[in-house]
Amino acid sequence: MRFHQAADTCLPAEYHAAQILSYARDRELDDDLILRGSDLIAEHITQGLCRISPQQYLQLLGNAMQALRSADSSFMLGQQMLPGHFGSVSHALLQAQNLRQALDILCTHATRLCPLLKPRYSAGQDYSILYWMDSYGAPSLRPAIVEMHMTAVVAMCRWLSGRRLPWRFCFNRSAARHTEQHEVHLGGELRFNCHLDAMLIASEYLDMPWPRGNALAANVALQQARQEALLMDETPSLLNAVYDYLLAHIRCSPSLEQLAAAFGVSPASMKRYLARQGTHFQAELDQVRTHVALYLFQSRQYDNEAVAHHLGFHDANNFRRSFKRWTGVTPSLLKEKLADDFPGLSLHALG
Amino acid sequence: MLKNSMLRLHRNFIISACLALCAFIFLYAYMGTPKPLIKWKWMDIVGEGGTAMMAGLWLLLMLSSRPRGLLTRLFAFGLAAIMLGSWADCLDEFFVIPKEDIWAHLLESMLVFTGMLIVTAGMYYWREEQFALNEHLQKRERLFRDHRAFDRVTQLSNADYLRLQIKLELDNHPGLPCALVLLDIDQFHLINRQYGQHEGDKVLLAVSHMLLLNLHNKDVLCRYAGDRFALVLHDRSLEEAQALAVHLCHMVRQMRYCAQEQTLEISMRHACTMADDVPDTLLSRLSRALESSAHASVEPPLPAGAL
Repeated sequence: MRFHQAADTCLPAEYHAAQILSYARDRELDDDLILRGSDLIAEHITQGLCRISPQQYLQLLGNAMQALRSADSSFMLGQQMLPGHFGSVSHALLQAQNLRQALDILCTHATRLCPLLKPRYSAGQDYSILYWMDSYGAPSLRPAIVEMHMTAVVAMCRWLSGRRLPWRFCFNRSAARHTEQHEVHLGGELRFNCHLDAMLIASEYLDMPWPRGNALAANVALQQARQEALLMDETPSLLNAVYDYLLAHIRCSPSLEQLAAAFGVSPASMKRYLARQGTHFQAELDQVRTHVALYLFQSRQYDNEAVAHHLGFHDANNFRRSFKRWTGVTPSLLKEKLADDFPGLSLHALG
Repeated sequence: MLKNSMLRLHRNFIISACLALCAFIFLYAYMGTPKPLIKWKWMDIVGEGGTAMMAGLWLLLMLSSRPRGLLTRLFAFGLAAIMLGSWADCLDEFFVIPKEDIWAHLLESMLVFTGMLIVTAGMYYWREEQFALNEHLQKRERLFRDHRAFDRVTQLSNADYLRLQIKLELDNHPGLPCALVLLDIDQFHLINRQYGQHEGDKVLLAVSHMLLLNLHNKDVLCRYAGDRFALVLHDRSLEEAQALAVHLCHMVRQMRYCAQEQTLEISMRHACTMADDVPDTLLSRLSRALESSAHASVEPPLPAGAL
């Protein structure tokens, strides 16, 4: 399986880096402050003469947050992020016929549209969920990046659909100090201390037609986007590829050795690569198991026994102990908390 | 941040002050004879040299934060004189000046005093300036000042300050009614999309000016977040607040804002409540009221003249 890492120069500079630079310039900040420590040159970024690595993108973002020192920076950066000026993918988003198609495009072409966080989307019966996974691991910037990406999706959908969509938000963090920013830029339905950074929306909004939607134009743009992806030799980031692999093989208790073999590297290298992103095999595996367990609880209404069996545990007790280790709470408590947080959300909604 | 620093404006003055410091050394070295090391009084050297250094530091701090003007000039000359006087005092510890040389005496004793006189005059004008600024800030702050709570775009106070205001209002005047209004610009995100965030910021500034013009001195306007403004109305009933909010929305609609040679019509929504709860609950309740009115309908496009 092919993948890239945080230090590989795989992102066109004129995409996201240029957005950060122009926002900082509007706020009368020196380019030097933003570019500090990134080895990049402002002209190269604005004229699209170079490619940057995700690491450099993170560096620019971190510098900008520090220099702007304002609670709304992440939200303002998010507002202009999507559909963006990323060529055919942005065109495809602009012509999206409805929310379903827009989310589909977003998830398929995340490497170009939102390289730092990978959106994953699954439609349930009543509710659909869009949750965000780290592509490179940047714990200190994580809250800001999540705010930025959520705002990007909310602002884009509001613009293209011509209405405010009633999103609900879960954050994998303690309550923010500046909830007013979340309220105004995202919406009032905010939940903190959840186990996911996710956005939920009633499934009825998925297929409502959008006024600018144009099936033909969207398809043409999407075809182009696919060809460009081939030309640019797009690969998923290591963490995303690992998540995908583990998700696909979760029922046969995958090991580090199997994972390394599938990726064509030695277990020691895989260990080193993961350590570079601030994680390790067990943490990734536990995360995928948590997500699968949540999915099974919510959408299939499995009980502990069934989930334990599905994930290859010997018995339900064993599973319950492990689940508590992954999430800090027992399955039953978590189910209660979910029901409390989302009263309208029936048990088979989360996916 | 260097870009915000005003030091560049005062470059000539700073260079002259440094030259004067050097000139004093040469003057003392030329006119006097060096004292042997055993005669140095370390306590005096530290005390007087330290005073000179502190006065110099104050001078730099003051210059880095002030534009040119009478008040700045007074402070600058005063502090520079204090610095040079103490410097002369300090140099006196290293060199023996003949007793009959009156100039050294003058430098030592009179320069510091003159400096203090000038700074005192500066203090007087500073007080005047502060009164003028207070008047200017009246509708943006009340009862206390916190420079960290100002929003960069509109120069209004932010949500933290707003929460504190509400809490103070409730604690200090439990009997008096106090109303709270949230105002939200319609379709602001379209202005940002259409004209860019830079233009959006200018719209926010224009709207904040329009709102300020229509407020009592005792009302406080804050920028809650994004395109949402908040008003704390001291000693006002809900009906009065409602009427004021309608009036404000009307005045903003009357504005003719020019964005890149096109006239924009700006409209606002509002929600009012009495301040009778903890700030967080109040504000989220109001925000929800504002949003429910927006959720209800498909958003109309910007008024015809705009797009």
